[in-house]
Amino acid sequence: MPAEALAGLRVVECGAGVSAAYAAKLMADMGADVVKVEPPDGDPLRLRGPFPGGKPDPEKSGLFLYLNTNKRGVVLDLTSADGRAAFDRIAQTADLVIHNWTPAEMEQRNVSWDRLHTLNPRLVLTSITPFGLTGPYSGYKANNLVSSSAGGWSWLIGGGPDGDQKPPLKAFGEQADMQTGAQAAIASLGAVLGRGFNDLPGQHIDISEQEVVTSFLEMNFMHWSYGGRVASRLGSRILHPWAIMEAKDGQIFVLCVQEDQWRRFVEMMGSPDWAEWEIFGDRLMRAAAWDVLEPLIAEYVSQHTVQEIYQEGLERRLPFAPLSTMGDLYKSDHLAVRGFFAKVTLADGSTLSLPGAPYRFQQTPWSLRRRAPQLGEHTAAVLDEAGMDPQTVKQLAGRAEKRS
Amino acid sequence: MAAVKPLAGIRVADFTWVWAGPFATLQLAHLGADVIKIESRSRLDTIRGLPPYADNEAGINRAGYFNQYNQGKRSITLDLSKPEGLEIAHQIAAKSDVVTENFSAGVMDRLGLGYDALKRVKPDIIVVALSGYGSTGPLSKYISYGPAQVPMSGLAGLTGYAGSGASEVGISYGDPNAGVHGAFAVLAALYHRQQTGEGQYVDMSQWEASIGLVAEGLVDYAMNGTQPERSGNRDPQYAPHGTFRCAGQDGWISIAVTNEEEWRSLCTALGAPALASDARFTDNAARKQHEDALERELSSLTAERDRWELTRSLQAAGVPAFTPLSNKELAEDPHLNERDFFVRLQHPDVGVRQHPGIPWRMSDSDSTVHAPAPMMGQHTREVLREVVGLNDARIDALEAAGVL
Repeated sequence: MPAEALAGLRVVECGAGVSAAYAAKLMADMGADVVKVEPPDGDPLRLRGPFPGGKPDPEKSGLFLYLNTNKRGVVLDLTSADGRAAFDRIAQTADLVIHNWTPAEMEQRNVSWDRLHTLNPRLVLTSITPFGLTGPYSGYKANNLVSSSAGGWSWLIGGGPDGDQKPPLKAFGEQADMQTGAQAAIASLGAVLGRGFNDLPGQHIDISEQEVVTSFLEMNFMHWSYGGRVASRLGSRILHPWAIMEAKDGQIFVLCVQEDQWRRFVEMMGSPDWAEWEIFGDRLMRAAAWDVLEPLIAEYVSQHTVQEIYQEGLERRLPFAPLSTMGDLYKSDHLAVRGFFAKVTLADGSTLSLPGAPYRFQQTPWSLRRRAPQLGEHTAAVLDEAGMDPQTVKQLAGRAEKRS
Repeated sequence: MAAVKPLAGIRVADFTWVWAGPFATLQLAHLGADVIKIESRSRLDTIRGLPPYADNEAGINRAGYFNQYNQGKRSITLDLSKPEGLEIAHQIAAKSDVVTENFSAGVMDRLGLGYDALKRVKPDIIVVALSGYGSTGPLSKYISYGPAQVPMSGLAGLTGYAGSGASEVGISYGDPNAGVHGAFAVLAALYHRQQTGEGQYVDMSQWEASIGLVAEGLVDYAMNGTQPERSGNRDPQYAPHGTFRCAGQDGWISIAVTNEEEWRSLCTALGAPALASDARFTDNAARKQHEDALERELSSLTAERDRWELTRSLQAAGVPAFTPLSNKELAEDPHLNERDFFVRLQHPDVGVRQHPGIPWRMSDSDSTVHAPAPMMGQHTREVLREVVGLNDARIDALEAAGVL
């Protein structure tokens, strides 16, 4: 009985950066055989930090090391004939090819749906692009900042005092790419399952990062299509309390979604008489009167430490939360007891503790079996397995070795 | 276009409510699964009771939030505090491939709907349990929601304008993130079952699912003992990378230059080709060093420009850029509409309302939404007849007894 949920699933990942890499990571971490194809000078992500001591090193990019666990790495020059031949050989037996090349980059590499479908009719090809493969913006370029703006998310972030003088904001990091990668993994694995459940052929899947972002904006789109209101970073939340507040020794996130939670929080604050004012009657009224309510709650919060409020809140079944730092996460007792962080040994023998399983499978657990690949590390092995003649393999793999 | 969706024939008994769980089962419904949402009249789904309501008239079937994330699902109502209600829920679960739930720890077991109970009647059942802290560990008995993951994952502390405080990210981002990872977990479990016939239990913590989103911050801390400073829309590696003022009220454009060609094209498109050869901005390193001066120069050039005209001309010049869109502008976006991304279906109570649809297109299977979100209990009779096999007389009796 295979110990991994996706054992036997053969995936080829190409492109650059985060979105395709995260989609393939989700599958690799659950046991899929993922081959990451890089160009001769490597995935550009290798040159993006963080790096130890801030010193760029293509084998030590922290983000690359996280996004490419459990994958084998191959270097192929897909703009050359023999590079393409090798790619076809690998794709011939794959279940999925997933990439985030632009349409132009696909063409330069002769990676086309018609050709691949003829080569391997059961193959699913997932194309991730900023705006999709059709429509007036299909040739447009973007990264996380641009996609978060085009998808309507930045418009909702930021603001605060004289907020209209400050730009709409992007969330930290690569959120649009990560969510697009997760959606791409869903659509891809769905299509693969469809071959078995419903005898569907291999398919070409078109994923637009703009559409992914637009599809997770909470209720904000419907503020327009239901309520005729333009929601924005300058507006207020629909229910309160829902805010980052100042405690004695730091900040804490205070949230009451249900009415019984508000009642328990009022008790926690010593049932002050202002809590019975009519204008605070329910969560929507509290939102409407937030400018009055906030200072009253802030008064209480400022007299206690973050941990006092957080622990007391937990006991009273309130969904409060500290503003964790990275150090807090690594030192969390709860996460340690659950064994959340996964230690990986890098090529130079050092170890790195990475975020681990997003879900706990009882029979086929997520596992970190292999560190991210060095550039071209598995070119020879993968091409051998694909049945290419040893001479060509040596030539292709050799060329990669000389370069790295 | 084959009408068959990849997961046609797969049934999901969905006990989840609010956003994370329903966002997971929305992906399964989009893929063609028959998602049966088990609702309760005495415990209304929170997002049936929140604005925005259609035309701002409240009603349990008029909430845009609910109607967005429950598209294409069936709804039945059962009183699980009554033995007959529980028995029906048990039968539906036993006839489903997947059960999803986000009650607090132990509730499903107490109801006799826990994994061990269901496994006895359906050995290959897949159960995904979603909670804030997971089902083990010192915090497992406490509650936590989607909004709390933004501060608790560390994302709030990493997000914000340079030199100012931690910032939320405009939405309850922990929910959709847990949703897509939950949906992927179901698909991975289905793949394992497709290969081996084995089902399993999956325990998901919203907090753990969100920590990978700040991997960039975590590996920086693990490698260097520090975490990235809040820096607005700037990028650690590239410049210019930000959101600049345009003409008009609250007008902005996000621009992300990642190579020299894009930098030269940007300067030309802004009518300042000489800027490209300014000593302070000759390459990315120089631009990073003089980023304050760079942003002042660019702002002065964008401030008079129309944000749409500038978006088009920059993209035409191959520069990644887009103006931050509001919900209204998404709804009216020519590209999203031409790609038929929005769903416009007749809903019994709110009529035709625009909703974001499926963020993927498959070449050989239907990628459209066929039904709006259900009215509460709309499918009770249909499901009890079809899935549980009760006749109308029995259903009438159950209804009279207040079980439905």
